Amino acid sequence: MWREKLQIHKSNWIAALHPSCKFLVVCLYSFCALLLASFKVGEGEYSLYTIAWFVIVPALAIGSGIIKRFWNAFTKVLLVAVVIIVVQSLLIPGGDTVAQLWILKVREEGLRSAIYLGFSVMNIAGIFVWFFQTTENKEISCALEDSGTNYKVTYVFISTLQMIEILGQNSKTIMNAQQARGVETQGNIVVRTRAFFASLVPLILGAITGTEERVLTLESKGFDVNCKKSRLFQIEKTGREKMVNTIAIAITVAIVGWRVALWIL
Amino acid sequence: MDTVIELKNVTYTYPLADEPSIKDMSIKIERGKFYGVIGENGAGKTTLCALIRGFAPSFYNGELKGEVLVEGKPTTEFGPGELSLKIGYVFQNPFTQISGVKDTLFEEVAYGLENFGVPVDEIEERVIEVMKMTDIYSLADKKPFELSGGQQQRAALASIIVLKPDILVIDEPTSQLDPEGTESVFKIIEQLKNEKKTIILVEHKVDMIAEYADEILVMKGGRLIRLGDKQEILTDMSLLDEGVQLPQMAILGERLIEAGIPLSRVPITERQAAEAIGQALQKARNS
Ligand SMILES: Nc1ncnc2c1ncn2[C@@H]1O[C@H](COP(=O)(O)OP(=O)(O)OP(=O)(O)O)[C@@H](O)[C@H]1O
Ligand SMILES: [Mg+2]
Repeated sequence: MWREKLQIHKSNWIAALHPSCKFLVVCLYSFCALLLASFKVGEGEYSLYTIAWFVIVPALAIGSGIIKRFWNAFTKVLLVAVVIIVVQSLLIPGGDTVAQLWILKVREEGLRSAIYLGFSVMNIAGIFVWFFQTTENKEISCALEDSGTNYKVTYVFISTLQMIEILGQNSKTIMNAQQARGVETQGNIVVRTRAFFASLVPLILGAITGTEERVLTLESKGFDVNCKKSRLFQIEKTGREKMVNTIAIAITVAIVGWRVALWIL
Repeated sequence: MDTVIELKNVTYTYPLADEPSIKDMSIKIERGKFYGVIGENGAGKTTLCALIRGFAPSFYNGELKGEVLVEGKPTTEFGPGELSLKIGYVFQNPFTQISGVKDTLFEEVAYGLENFGVPVDEIEERVIEVMKMTDIYSLADKKPFELSGGQQQRAALASIIVLKPDILVIDEPTSQLDPEGTESVFKIIEQLKNEKKTIILVEHKVDMIAEYADEILVMKGGRLIRLGDKQEILTDMSLLDEGVQLPQMAILGERLIEAGIPLSRVPITERQAAEAIGQALQKARNS
């Protein structure tokens, strides 16, 4: 009964795809995004296709029924992308002026580079956000083990994922504690930076101390025992993995073909 | 006498340490008995546990003189993981005993069984049984990291008990627990003792040791200063001068005897104290 409870049943079939299938999609999607970014379109030679390509990420998020969670995580990526776009388009000189606001000029080359970089980041980070929002740690761990990955590598990978989550929560707690203790955590950049480093010390110390015991605990729980491990959690396949893989590969081949054709012609 | 663990003239020095943390210790641990290990901070209790489990010297390195035998075989000759099935080890600090790869407490407790390749149906049964026994079943679907100190400590104990080792080495399992929690952990340990397991337990709460243990090991400065029956050791007032804490009831009994109340023996538990005082009162009334 408990084992049944530990299994993951997703009602949405896209989200429920096997992690290895989703991962193939992620890799091919990223590859295509970079390839499309190298297509220069029109007179300005901007990488417009990569912008169009980005439509797929929110479409996948909506199709997987996770748009809300996706958006929450994606806003951070968006922030980085916007900074890249603004900085690149304003600072890189060269080419005609595309737009001007008071002394701020956006030139062709700046805009070209801004689109190229900004959307590459959004595409690749975006598809990874989709992957991690639709896939739970234990599914990844299970898929890694099934694929024959060494259990030690799997352990390091999964514990890192969990650790990031926990450190994220801890850093908030520590920030609050430091603030209560009188360390300034709000204010200008300098103050905030100082507070950031002050918060890192307990965070890192906390993570390092007890490593010995952590290792020995694993040993006590038979981490290194030489036998076939059993597993409570089993991953399910939706049965549509083959179809999705085929579609993803077909689209990639088509885009590669198109690119090659453009080179030759 | 059926000896499961034996230390023969063991002296152990951690790497880079100036002096040994265990000095010339020789003990025999008998199968099926419950040993309470007491002694002040830094006396070498944890080091003794690490030696018995083979973590010292195999993990900590350092220098070992003499021999530590588990079922007649030196700990240094066991293969990786081999001792984990024989000896269950619960650490002092509950916060470092979470695997870090499981989402729920249920899976956390099951983790060791998965590693040992136990069939899944059996895992489920055993995990549920142990979680009920340690009173954490209601927390089964919580995240391991979100538990309180006391809950994590019980979880740490549960994830080792579930492996059903014959020998249990437990280092201060109640440091994070309130009196009620402490009592319940000792009840669990008592149950394990009834299952004929050999238990070596480090504990500062000497009143608990007096209640539940069979034999007492007293350590000081890396040496074994006493080993024997609890009744005898916990009423030895000279230990007070060595900085060892004795049960409150023993001290009370001793004071009463000093004050001229003829107790038949120095009590170490509340039950014994009530008995001895009752008898003394009865006698006084009769005469
Ligand atoms: N990893 C280590 N490296 C070097 N020295 C150590 C190490 N661990 C413990 N020691 C030293 O060995 C001695 C015994 O320590 P141990 O941890 O065994 O004491 P303890 O009796 O368990 O104390 P406590 O009641 O505080 O847990 C101490 O002097 C300590 O400084
Ligand atoms: Mg200790």
